[in-house]
Amino acid sequence: MHKYILRRVLLLIPVMLGVSFVVFTIMFFTPGDPAKIMLGERAPAEEVALLRTQMGLDDPFHIQFFNFVKNAVQGDLGRSLVTKRPVAAEIWSRFPATLQLSAAAVLIAILMGIPIGIISATKQYSAFDMISMVIALLGVSMPNFWQGMMMILLFSITFRVLPSSGYGTLGHLIMPAATIGTSAAAVITRMTRSSMLEVVRQDYIRTARAKGLSERVVINRHALKNALIPIVTVIGLQFGSLLGGAVLTESIFSWPGVGRFMVDAIRTKDYPSVQGGVLMLALTFSIVNLAVDILYAYIDPRIKAQYK
Amino acid sequence: MSHTIIAPPAGTAAATASPVKKRSQLAEVWRRLVRNKMAMFGLVVISLIIAAAITADWISPYDYRTQDLNAISQKPNAQHILGTDDLGRDILSRIIHGTRISLLVGFVSVSISVAVGGGLGAVSGYYGGTLDNVIMRFMDVLLAIPSILLAIAIVSAFGGGIINVMIAVGISSVPSYARIVKASVISIKENEFIEAARAIGASDFRIVTKHILPNAMAPIIVQATLGVAGAILSAAGLSFIGMGIQPPTPEWGAMLSNGRHIIRTAWHVATFPGLAIMLTIFALNLLGDGLRDALDPRLKN
Amino acid sequence: MNAGTRLGVVALSLLVMAALVATGCAKKEVGPSKGQNVDTLVVAMGADARSLDPHATNDQPSARVMKLVYNRLMYQTEDLKIENDLVESYNAVSSTVFEFKLRPNVKFHNGETLSSNDVKFTFERMIANKAPAAFLVAALDKVEVIDALNFRMILKYPFGPFVTHLAHTATSIVNEKAVTAGGADYGRNPVGTGPFKFVEWKAGDSITLAAYDAYHLGAPKAKTIRFRFIPEDANRAIALETGEADIVYDVGPNDYKNLDAIPEIDAKRIAGLTTFYMGFNMAKKPFDDVRVRRAINLALDVDTATRVAFEGFAVPAKGPLAPTVQFADTSLPGYGYDPAKAKQLLAEAGYANGFKTSIWTNNNPIRVKFAEIFQEQLRQVGIECAIEIMEFAPYLDRTALGEHDMFMLGWVAVTGDADYGMYSLFHSTQFGDAGNRTFYKNPKVDELLDKGRVSVNPEDRRAAYAEAQKLVYEDAPWVFLAFREDLNATRNYVKGFVPHAAGHHNLYKVYNE
Repeated sequence: MHKYILRRVLLLIPVMLGVSFVVFTIMFFTPGDPAKIMLGERAPAEEVALLRTQMGLDDPFHIQFFNFVKNAVQGDLGRSLVTKRPVAAEIWSRFPATLQLSAAAVLIAILMGIPIGIISATKQYSAFDMISMVIALLGVSMPNFWQGMMMILLFSITFRVLPSSGYGTLGHLIMPAATIGTSAAAVITRMTRSSMLEVVRQDYIRTARAKGLSERVVINRHALKNALIPIVTVIGLQFGSLLGGAVLTESIFSWPGVGRFMVDAIRTKDYPSVQGGVLMLALTFSIVNLAVDILYAYIDPRIKAQYK
Repeated sequence: MSHTIIAPPAGTAAATASPVKKRSQLAEVWRRLVRNKMAMFGLVVISLIIAAAITADWISPYDYRTQDLNAISQKPNAQHILGTDDLGRDILSRIIHGTRISLLVGFVSVSISVAVGGGLGAVSGYYGGTLDNVIMRFMDVLLAIPSILLAIAIVSAFGGGIINVMIAVGISSVPSYARIVKASVISIKENEFIEAARAIGASDFRIVTKHILPNAMAPIIVQATLGVAGAILSAAGLSFIGMGIQPPTPEWGAMLSNGRHIIRTAWHVATFPGLAIMLTIFALNLLGDGLRDALDPRLKN
Repeated sequence: MNAGTRLGVVALSLLVMAALVATGCAKKEVGPSKGQNVDTLVVAMGADARSLDPHATNDQPSARVMKLVYNRLMYQTEDLKIENDLVESYNAVSSTVFEFKLRPNVKFHNGETLSSNDVKFTFERMIANKAPAAFLVAALDKVEVIDALNFRMILKYPFGPFVTHLAHTATSIVNEKAVTAGGADYGRNPVGTGPFKFVEWKAGDSITLAAYDAYHLGAPKAKTIRFRFIPEDANRAIALETGEADIVYDVGPNDYKNLDAIPEIDAKRIAGLTTFYMGFNMAKKPFDDVRVRRAINLALDVDTATRVAFEGFAVPAKGPLAPTVQFADTSLPGYGYDPAKAKQLLAEAGYANGFKTSIWTNNNPIRVKFAEIFQEQLRQVGIECAIEIMEFAPYLDRTALGEHDMFMLGWVAVTGDADYGMYSLFHSTQFGDAGNRTFYKNPKVDELLDKGRVSVNPEDRRAAYAEAQKLVYEDAPWVFLAFREDLNATRNYVKGFVPHAAGHHNLYKVYNE
C-alpha cells in the first residue's frame, strides 16, 4: 500500500512538469509583450528591450522553460507583472475564498445528490424518480452565470434576504455555493442513481434480500457501501474541478477567488501569475484525487489487495 | 466549468459492447429507446432544433443582422414575438439562427474531442506499455488543468472566432474520451474474434478501426451526446466573458451576455437565449441518459 | 417510498416555499438614513487596485485609492482648476525653473515630517523605477533641495502643462523612510500624507482605509472607507440599491436610469474627460486616402449610435477634445450623416463597389456595440467589415504595431489639458505605443502641438490648439464618436460627494448622515 502511495506521489512529478509545459507553451504564444506590460505602454522601446533581456525573454523557448521550472522547484513562482507581488502570495491570499466556496458547493451537492439518487434508484421509473431526474437535469442544463443572475434578482432584489455580492459572511456564501452546488448535485444524483442501479442487481444483494433482511438494511448496509466508490470518485473530481473552474460564478458574485484572478491574469497576459496559478490549481486537483483514490483503496479491500 | 458531465463507471457500458453486431441488436436498442418517454422527448426537441437550423433562412421572420436603432429592447409584441435586443434586432430570428452556431460548436468540438481522445485512447488501450503510460500521463496533465481556464487560455492565445472556440472547447474535453475508449478497447481486445483477425494477418490499424472501435461505440455515443451539451455550455460561458465568437454571429451565450447589462429594464433580452440554451442542453441530456439505458442490456427489466 | 414519506416531502417543500414568501414579505427596506456602520463609507468600484505604490502602476482603481492616501504638490479641483496642495506657494523663475515652498508641519502616516528631501526622493524614484506614468515628468531634469521646505525643479525644456502634471495621482509624494522600510511590498503598505491611512487589503475583495486624525487640514469626516470591487455593472448598481454600498463609481448607463428613479438614491452625471473614437490605420490602403476617411465619417450615423450605445449619457463628438478639456474647440461642425455623399466620395476614391475591411476592438461592451452598429451601417454603403474582438493587452500591442484596419479606443485627458489630450494621439513622434495608433502625420500639426506644449502664454497655446484641432478634423484620422459622461451614484444619506471628471473622487469631506 505504501508503495502504491509512493508511486502515485512520484507520478505527480511528470504530470506537474507536463502542466507547466502546456501552460508555458500557450502563454508563450499569447500575443503581448510582458516587458511592455511591466513598464506600461508608453515606455520607450530601448527600455523595453533592456528589460526583455534582463527578464530573459529573448532567450530561446527551452531555456525560458527550464528557468521557470528551476525556479518553481525552489518554490519561486515569480512576481506578478501587474501587481508586482509574488505570485505565490497572490494565489495564497485568494485560496481560502476558493476553498470555502468549493467545499460549500460540494457539501450542498452531496446533501442533495446522494439521497435523491438513492431514492430514485430504489424506485426506478416511479414518479419521484422521473421528477427528481428532471430537476437534476435542469440543474446541469442551466448555465451557471444565468442561474446566478436569476438568484440575485430573486433573493437580493425582490426578497432582500441575501447580499448580492462580496465575501466574508455565511450570507455571502449561500448564493454562489448554491449556484455551483446545484449543477454539481445533478452530476452526483445521476452518478448515485446509476451506481445504485448497478449494485442492486448484484448477486450479493439478492442474497441479502433472500435472507429476509429489510429493504432499508439491504440498501443502507449493503448496496450503498458498494455503490459509494464511483460516487466518491465523482465527488473528488467535482471538488477538484470547482477549485479553478468556478470562474463565471465568481465573477457574477464578485467572489475574490483564484478562478477570477486567473482569468484576469490571462487577460492581462500576467504570465507568471497564469503559470504559477495553474500549477497550484493542478497540484491541488491532483492531490485531492490522489487522496480520494487512497481513501477508497482503504475502504475497498479488493483495490487494496491489488496494490499490495 | 463545473458542468463536467461524467460518464457512468467506466466498466458499465464498456463491458456491454457485445462482440457480435447484429441488426436485430440495433432494433432492440431502438425499441428500448422508444419506450423511454423522456428520451423520446429529448429526441423530438433535438430534431426540431436541427430542423430549425436547416431552415433558419426561411422560418426566421427577420434578417438576424438587421438593426432598428429606433426600436431597441422592445418587449415581446405582435411584430417581434420575443421582442428586440439592445440593437433593435429581432430576438426570435437570432435565436433561430443561433441554433446553427450552437449545433455547429457542439458537434464540431465533440468531434475534435472524440477524434483526438478516441484515437489516443485506442492506441493506449491496444498497445499498452510505455506508449499507454505516456499518453495517459498526458491525459492526466490535461485533466489537471481546469478545463474552462484551458479554453480561456487557448482563445486568448490564438484569438476568438468560432474555429478557435471549437478547438479550445474540443481540446479541453479530450481526456474523458481517451479514458472511455481505452477502457472499452482493453475489454474488447482479449476477445476471440480479435485473436482470429490477428491470426489471419490483419494489420493493427485494421483491427482497431474495423473490429475494436465499432464495438466500443456505445459508450462513446453516450458520452458524445452529453458532451455536445457540455460543449455548448462551455462556448456560451466563453462568450459570456467576452472571449467567444465574433459579432454579429447570434451565439446564444453572447446574446445572454449582452442582455445581462439590461436585465432590470429588459428582462427578455437575456431570458430567451437562456431558455434556448437550457432547453437544448436539457434535451441532449435526456437523450444521452436514454441512450445509456437503452444500450445497457443489464438495465432491462 | 411509502405514502408517509411522500407526504413528508410535499410538506417540506411547502414549508420551504412558505419560508421564502415570509422572508420576502419581511424584506428589509433601506431607508433615508444608514442604519448601521454609519462611520464606514462603503464605495463600490469595478476592479481591484493593482498597487498603492504610485511608481508601480498607472491604473484608475489604484489612482482612486492613492488619491486619498497621498497628497500631491498641486491639487486639481472638481472643475479642473489647479490649486496648491502640499505646496504653500510657487513661482516660475524662468520657463524651465520653478521654485516651490512646502506647507510646514505636514506629517506622514508614519510620523515623519514632510520635507523637500521627500519631494526629491519621490521624483528621482519615479524616474529611476521607470514608473508607468514617468512620461508625465519627462521634461524634469532634476530637483534641487534648497532647505527643508524650499526646493527647485529644473526642466530640460519649457513645458507648458508641467505644473498641471504635478496634480496627477501618479506624482503623489512618498516618504523615503517608509518606502525603504516597505521594500518590495511597499505597494501593499503605503504611507502618505493624505486624509486616510491604509489599513487592510483583501485581494480581489476590498481595501480598507481609516481616517488619519492628524491630517494637516483636519481629520476627515468619515471614520473608515471601504472600497469594494464588484466587476459587473449591474451588480454594482444592485449593491447600492440594497444598501450594501453607499457610493457606486462608474454606473452603467442602463442602471443609471433605474437608480435615478429611486428616491433614496442620488444619481450624479457630469461631463467627463474621455473621448471615444474609431481610428483608421493611415499607413494602410485605402485609409491613406482622405476621401475614404471622410466617406466613412459621412456613412456613419454617429449621433444615433452614440444615443444607443451610451443610452443617452454621452455627447456626440465633433472634434478630438472633450468640451471640458482646456482649449477644446467646440465650434467644429462635425461631419453629419450623409450616406449618399459617402458613396460619391468612395466612388471618387475608386471604391464605387466598396471594399472589405475590419473593425478591431477590445471587449468593452460599449465599443463592441458601436462596432456592431457601424458594421451594419457600413454594409449599407458597400463596405463589408468583420469585427475582431480581443483582450486589451494584445489589442494595444497589435494596434501599436499597425496590424489593424479600423479600431475603437478611448482617451482620457486626465490632466484636463489639451497637450495631454492631443500630443500623444496626433504627433508624428508618438507612433504606436505612445498613442498615435492611426500613424497620422501632418508636419503643420506637429509644429502646432510642439508650440502648444512649450509656450507658457495661455493665449498662444489656445491659438495653436484651435488650429491643430481644425486640421485634425479636416484630415479625419478618426471617426469622432462621443464624449462620455461620468456616472456615479450615492445613497441620499451620503453627504458631500462631488464627482471629479477624471474619475478619482475626493472623499475627504464625504460622510454618511
